[in-house]
Amino acid sequence: MSNTDIALMAHLMRRAGFGATRTELEDYAKKGYENVVEDLVEPERCDPIDEDILHRYFGSFEAGYVEKWMYRMIRSKRPLEEKMALFWHHVFATGVGKNQHLLASARQIDTFRRVGLSNMREILLELSKDPAMIFWLDNNENRKGEPNENYGRELLELFSMGVGNYTEDDIKNCARAFTGWTFAQPPPLYPQGFYDAKFVFLEEDHDDGEKTFLGHTGNLNGDDIIDIIVEQPACAKFISRHLYNFFVADEPQVPSWHVTPPQDPEAIETLSNAFMESKGDMRHVLRTLFNSDFFKEARGKKVKSPTELVTGILKLIGTYERPDPGMGKYSGATTLMGQKLLDPPTVEGWHTGREWIDGGTLTERVNFAVREVSDASRPGIAELINRLKAEGRALAPDEFVEKCLDLAGPMTVSDTTRESLNKFAESGGDLDLSADNGSEESTDRVIQMLQLIVASREYQFA
Amino acid sequence: MAYRDPILVIVELKGGNDFMNTIIPYTNGIYHDCRPIVGLREDEVLPMNDTLAWHPNTVPLKEMFEQGDVAIVQGIGYPDSSRSHFRAMDVWHTCEPIDIGTEGWLGRVVRDLDPKGENVLTGINFGKGLSRALAVSGVPVTSVDDLDNYGLMTSIKEDPKRMRAIEIFKTMYEPAIGTGVVMDYLSQTGLDVIKGSDKLKMAPAMYQSDVEYGSNSIAKALRDVARVHLAGLGTRIFYTQHGGYDHHANEMPSHPKLLTELSEAIRDFFQDLRNHNASQEIVMLVFSEFGRRMRDNASGTDHGTGGGAFIIGDGVNGGLYAEYPSLDPSRWANGEDLEHTIDFRGIYATLLEQWMGMDATPIVDGTFEQIQPFKEVV
Amino acid sequence: MGRPYGLLRAGFPFYKTLGMRRLTNFPIDIALGKEGCLYILCRNRDASTIRKYHIDDKDLGTVGRGLTWAVAIIADSEENLYVSDEAKHCIMSFDKDGKELGKWGEYGDGDGQLNGPAGIAFDAEENIYVADSLNHRVQKFTKDGEFISKWGRFGDGEGEFNMPWGLTVDELGDVYVADWRNDRVQKFTGDGEFIFAFGKSGSGNGELNRPTGVAVDEHGDVYVSDSGNDRVQLFNSESRYVQKFLGDATLSTVAIEYMMTNAGPNRLRDMADLEPQKYFRRPGGVAVNGDGLMFVADNGSYRVQVYQKQAIPLTEEQFSAPRRSPTLHQE
Repeated sequence: MSNTDIALMAHLMRRAGFGATRTELEDYAKKGYENVVEDLVEPERCDPIDEDILHRYFGSFEAGYVEKWMYRMIRSKRPLEEKMALFWHHVFATGVGKNQHLLASARQIDTFRRVGLSNMREILLELSKDPAMIFWLDNNENRKGEPNENYGRELLELFSMGVGNYTEDDIKNCARAFTGWTFAQPPPLYPQGFYDAKFVFLEEDHDDGEKTFLGHTGNLNGDDIIDIIVEQPACAKFISRHLYNFFVADEPQVPSWHVTPPQDPEAIETLSNAFMESKGDMRHVLRTLFNSDFFKEARGKKVKSPTELVTGILKLIGTYERPDPGMGKYSGATTLMGQKLLDPPTVEGWHTGREWIDGGTLTERVNFAVREVSDASRPGIAELINRLKAEGRALAPDEFVEKCLDLAGPMTVSDTTRESLNKFAESGGDLDLSADNGSEESTDRVIQMLQLIVASREYQFA
Repeated sequence: MAYRDPILVIVELKGGNDFMNTIIPYTNGIYHDCRPIVGLREDEVLPMNDTLAWHPNTVPLKEMFEQGDVAIVQGIGYPDSSRSHFRAMDVWHTCEPIDIGTEGWLGRVVRDLDPKGENVLTGINFGKGLSRALAVSGVPVTSVDDLDNYGLMTSIKEDPKRMRAIEIFKTMYEPAIGTGVVMDYLSQTGLDVIKGSDKLKMAPAMYQSDVEYGSNSIAKALRDVARVHLAGLGTRIFYTQHGGYDHHANEMPSHPKLLTELSEAIRDFFQDLRNHNASQEIVMLVFSEFGRRMRDNASGTDHGTGGGAFIIGDGVNGGLYAEYPSLDPSRWANGEDLEHTIDFRGIYATLLEQWMGMDATPIVDGTFEQIQPFKEVV
Repeated sequence: MGRPYGLLRAGFPFYKTLGMRRLTNFPIDIALGKEGCLYILCRNRDASTIRKYHIDDKDLGTVGRGLTWAVAIIADSEENLYVSDEAKHCIMSFDKDGKELGKWGEYGDGDGQLNGPAGIAFDAEENIYVADSLNHRVQKFTKDGEFISKWGRFGDGEGEFNMPWGLTVDELGDVYVADWRNDRVQKFTGDGEFIFAFGKSGSGNGELNRPTGVAVDEHGDVYVSDSGNDRVQLFNSESRYVQKFLGDATLSTVAIEYMMTNAGPNRLRDMADLEPQKYFRRPGGVAVNGDGLMFVADNGSYRVQVYQKQAIPLTEEQFSAPRRSPTLHQE
């Protein structure tokens, strides 16, 4: 296997998953790119995560859900399942800050994990029946004769088609079709903890009148609305652009999409076609995406989200092979970097791309990464040092830089960055990990090199 | 008004301070009836007048009040107050009680004060993570967890190593031609961080004081505010938090301890600034996201609505402002809460217009009743 | 006092509920003290605490600090408390007011070393048996942590374990282990000689899904916290299934007091289907006392459910000889 294969595999795993250790990358590369894509989009081919272990050590309930989720991200053999759960969480942004029901929010992510790789119809149907979403966008207040349009509007504007593809009347009729889609009152949090909220359809609150939606007329119910939506080319385009933005390259923020065309219209066309021909089958669309040239060429074209940055570092240092206390500090870290999972700021979700970065969040990102890679006893770091040792000879400064960039990525960096790293390497001369007397100092130099690499501009990109 | 640029220091009491156990309606029978467990007896409190008294643990604040430096804003809140901490703080931070707001009000203030974003220290948050109140996309503000150890790569403990790493960081972040706008932006941000931390580093070095602050979090934070202010780095908005006010249980031992920490820290802070002749330009707002329930729950109090705030400073005309909420059960909000008597956005506007000399309407999104707590108005 | 010849099982009704969210968060085990005192071990993410509690539903505050992932708690004859911590791989001890008395155990798989200690129990001499979970074995120590003996290894055969959790010792000195990932309970002599095992994977009567806690009462009845099936099952001393408890909780006194000052939640309760509130959710440890009370740490519902055993010992005259086959004939 060539270094190009490894680099391509690392790219795939950063995007379709949450990063991979060097050994994992080598195993994947042996399997071949298309086979790995197949494993990713057909997750049943790989073992599920050991739920028993999650329950036993992290608890069975909503407390610590985000930590449990992050553990899944770095440990699951089905990384795309988790990545798609995160994708839908970005798109169908629901904030626990409003609903105050951590269990309902946790269940929503469980649902995204379960149906995230199915088809658009099922996904929107589950979304419309999700209590956290129903409450977040007030559909529990949406009744015959007194419709609340919040969900109806956002379903069209933010979740499926985007502005410009429907009229205000379509929104009204869409909202009417979802009247009576609500949930049964769960017992309150106190004194016995959260209980599941469950979807119910209240016949008496449902508007049975005739509705016209995107040219279809009849006594439409919510299911009919979803059937109509998923057949719209606008839906195929909109979801394709979301997938492109999340998996391929940063697009402008969603609200500007109806006026700013996509940076790669052909790619969107390819994905939309895959969507239309498969009736919105996510596996087919993602298979198309990951096997495309535009994906393979998009290395470094996305600013890592805080979740991607943190999990990527955790994969690099190879920690948490089994549950241990302290996962909480990692969800805390993404929060400080501007992404509090389960609690996006608004229904628009997080603003991504360059908007992840400001002085405060960049400081957090750099400091977090620098701190985490500083421990040479972490399995991932120890392995990296062993691989350098296994060269069996002293490495010239530029080789030292090259090997570290390779093992920490592989990463491609600008000349400015490389020259800076070279300068640092040169100040210590050749790196000789084989020499008995120098090994502690040499280990230290490797750590410092890694710290600089993860502090670099390039490391902020996926 | 001082000749120097006016400055705002905001202290957020996190968790919902029990205002009724801070400024206590000690002669009102309803208070004692409602609070058999967490209520304070008439002979325990420090009377201010015939109806209201200070909590016994607020002596330093009471003394500042008696010197005329403290305005008490009674019954601060907003209509249909949220009892959720997160939501309620969001409302206070964004001034959006109905819709979900995205821009923090102080972020907007910073943008107005420094429209080109020339000084990354115009607004500084002390504590872990930036407060939502200061967060507006594209407005650079600084968040400092530990002033003595602030900056990039602080986990590298050996100084020479860290200096070396930062030197390399600077060269790595040098803008490079043709790398794209996002990379350029990232470079600029990285270098700004270095600039900001270089400036902030001066503050602890320049600071000398005889005032000995406590060792709790609010004392440390206010000491950091004093150190940065005295370094003259152009900061106009300081923000910090004092946590732990969510006393559903065990209110009796915990709440008094917090009040002691808070009032001593405020006294020390102003004393420190006065010693340096640097207090006239400062006004402090102390607020909390809501008050607590009328009735206690046998060990603490649950989330309520109407609360209280303090405006403190040399320029303040001390006294009681707005109205203490009625304790009459027929006037309780939701049948169990103190009703608010003044909208918090009016208090923000008071500070912005009468102290900072800014147009408050776009910042608080509307016009609201103001109070007149300052000796002079700009 | 020996075991009765037989038992007339009159009933085993729900007795009372103790605790509520905020006081007894995620209870995982219970130790019984004197004069109605109980010590509820609460495991909340990365910090565990011991809640001292009275059976009259009085909160006596938090005792004990420095616990991370606590699993089990027991009290000795002087009411000193011993707690296992599976993250710190140690046993910590406290007096009944929470003063730390000591700590022993270190990570490893050698004799006396621990990897994820879970269930613990005293024998009559107050030696401690530990379910050394990730070493898949049981170890016996003195109270001060001196290694005495061990048995078991990974597997699903007799005397083998897969991540054992709960452990108890009966008054005869026999040891019962909730063999968590093998979905069974194994019984041994105090020296580790295998006696029998019962339970297999499933949700039918007598079947188990990840059993957590195990306790034995003076009649030799075995209580198994069948966590994955959200229930507790009762087996007799011969390991025959007797009955199951699904949960029948009411509001505790402290919960009622709380609700009296909370108008909103009262309205929500009125709108909700309350039936789910009575059931166990992922029960943890189970403890029984000499008065026939069974205490269950109802982990997911922030409370302890207590049940009262009503059983009358039978003599040989009152209890006919065992029979092999069922009969329709009424004697």
